[in-house]
Amino acid sequence: MRRTTLMRMIYLFLIIFVAVGALWPGLPEDARPEHHRYASTADAPSALSVGEKGTIVLGTSPDYPPYENVDAKNNGDIVGMDMDIAKFIAAQLGYKLEIAAMDFNGLIAALQTGRVDFVMSAMSVTEERKRNVDFSSTYYVARNTIVSRKKEPYESSESLGGKIVGTQLGSTQDLYAQTLDGIQLKKLNRIPDLIQELKTGRIQAAIVEDAVAVEMTAANSDLLLSFLPPGSTENGYAIAFPKGSALVEPFNDVLKEMKESGRIDAIIDKWFASEREPQASNVLNLNFGILKGYIPYMLKGVYVTLLFTLVSAAFGFLWGTILSLFKISGIKPLEWFATAYTSVLRGTPLLLQLFLIYYATPQLFQYDISPLMAAGLAFGLNSAAYLSETIRGGIMAVDKGQREAALSLGIPYRMMMISIILPQAVRTILPALVNECVALLKESSLVSVIGVQDIMRRANVVQATEFRALEALLFAGVIYYVLVLVLTSLAHLLERRLRRSD
Amino acid sequence: MINVTELTKTFGKHQVLKGITTSVRKGEVVALIGPSGSGKSTFLRCLNLLETPTSGIITINDAELTNRHTNIGKVRQRIGMVFQHFHLFPHMTVMENITFAPRRVKGQSASAAREKAIALLERVGLADKADSYPSRLSGGQKQRVAIARSLAMEPDIMLFDEPTSALDPEMVKEVLAVIQGLASTGMTMLIVTHEMKFAREAADTIYFMDDGRLIEKTPPAQFFDNPQSERAKRFLEKVL
Repeated sequence: MRRTTLMRMIYLFLIIFVAVGALWPGLPEDARPEHHRYASTADAPSALSVGEKGTIVLGTSPDYPPYENVDAKNNGDIVGMDMDIAKFIAAQLGYKLEIAAMDFNGLIAALQTGRVDFVMSAMSVTEERKRNVDFSSTYYVARNTIVSRKKEPYESSESLGGKIVGTQLGSTQDLYAQTLDGIQLKKLNRIPDLIQELKTGRIQAAIVEDAVAVEMTAANSDLLLSFLPPGSTENGYAIAFPKGSALVEPFNDVLKEMKESGRIDAIIDKWFASEREPQASNVLNLNFGILKGYIPYMLKGVYVTLLFTLVSAAFGFLWGTILSLFKISGIKPLEWFATAYTSVLRGTPLLLQLFLIYYATPQLFQYDISPLMAAGLAFGLNSAAYLSETIRGGIMAVDKGQREAALSLGIPYRMMMISIILPQAVRTILPALVNECVALLKESSLVSVIGVQDIMRRANVVQATEFRALEALLFAGVIYYVLVLVLTSLAHLLERRLRRSD
Repeated sequence: MINVTELTKTFGKHQVLKGITTSVRKGEVVALIGPSGSGKSTFLRCLNLLETPTSGIITINDAELTNRHTNIGKVRQRIGMVFQHFHLFPHMTVMENITFAPRRVKGQSASAAREKAIALLERVGLADKADSYPSRLSGGQKQRVAIARSLAMEPDIMLFDEPTSALDPEMVKEVLAVIQGLASTGMTMLIVTHEMKFAREAADTIYFMDDGRLIEKTPPAQFFDNPQSERAKRFLEKVL
């Protein structure tokens, strides 16, 4: 009888999960990852058909203006020089263009797993990347530039000897900096990180490309830029494709045409002539004025974060309950499974689980898992491992007599668990459950790495667009804190309600 | 109504029941007495399979409990059980405690179950406590609600496992009165008790148990006035 009860619960959980997946396309625009469609105008050349739908997917990391960034002040589209070039090429070749945003470090994986058809993300051609992807011809060559503080300027590569120099991990400038003698290299993930390290003096200078340097110094009046002489280490940016992609040749043809007609230069001029109001620097060097216009954009992340937390908490609780029942079932294989499950899921990093589920699912199961579903699954599976122990403890803490009283009334096992034992168990473990929800709410910021537009991701977008490191982060912190306060107050109310029988 | 043949129960290496054979007829009220550890409670708990017998056969209303294919849930619905520590469901009101099983297990309508519950609460003298939570009740009140909860399933047999042992002395009487009232309605009952006066007045038969065996099975008058075995004599000397 127990076995059938457990099977039913497993079915129930599957149904709920599939239902969440099915509802997914019906969710509002803001809950979805950054996908945008552009209709093309030109006719499709019949020889070139990648997808039968005539849609090609561009992968990009929109945190690198002026190449690509989220137009957060307006409709949240992804814009930039790379995007304009991609749109032009797609239109020429007769494809519909869809843009998928993700972390820069996930771009190559996305190409290899077939999640995207090509990548344009100010990506430079390196030998290592060439081993994994194919590149088009280069469409832009950037110049290496030193950015330093006005108080302590560095203007040539020789002057950097013995200094701590920052670069963006995996960038061309990173490779260039490695050829400089006597410097101490510090590699950081994102441009805003470089700005902040520079301002606080943890690094003395940063080596970035010219377009970025211009924006950095325009947004931060205490910084200064110095161009380095053009050299051979500058590989230039190119479009990346999966190995053996049929798109490389047609893309190269269009690029060639664009260079000859001067269209590329026109696009570059359009994006590099960015104008920015000079920023007054105050004592704390914070300027919350820059958040103006971004606040609605960032607040929309609240909905995404809450939805995500809800999905993973509900799934985690359900699955955790089932696992805890496995653990006390007295059926050895189920007990072993639940114990091994808990051990593995608790013993490996959540971020790793998230990456595996998001990137491995399409490859292994031919199923294009949505970011919310991947994240809900990863967080739910992980949270269930912790919760199963908590719930098991709660069930064990319920007086054995409750079970006997229920059995002696002829109440079946499942009904007894759901209506008699679990309500009492949940009451005991409510504080622990609230803790888990709070943890989930905050940990949900991890989902920004797979491109879900939650609060954290939106803060990163604003950071990148404004070339300011701290203001958006502080604002995101305030939002999270308020959310946690609201959540704990609700939990407090619930606890009072549950305690009314005392 | 109840037939027990060569029932044994072993916990680990300790044999608690050493072969019990007896039968209880419909409407019989049996009081189980004997020193603690003699196996009275274990015997009672075997009758609705809260303890699984090690060997032996138990038949209730022609259903063989010890047969693996018997639907034990169905049989348990016909056997009410009252515990020493009440075991009311703390997250439910008195009314919910009583109506839960009739509604959810037997599928009675909410109104029918409620009507029945009100009648039962009146019978145990707690009609005004329907909407209270168990935590607001005294021990005696809790035990009376527990009895009403069992009766709501309309059982043929009631098992009482030391129903007054956890009560303050002044509450014992109100509970015993309810049980005695029930006995007069012709309910088949087995009661594990230390209340000798009550056993004498309420029971048709006394089962005296010692060391896992059923030593004497006699009417109360004979047992209390003229016990046959040495052990029963010694036991009665101590408790009377």
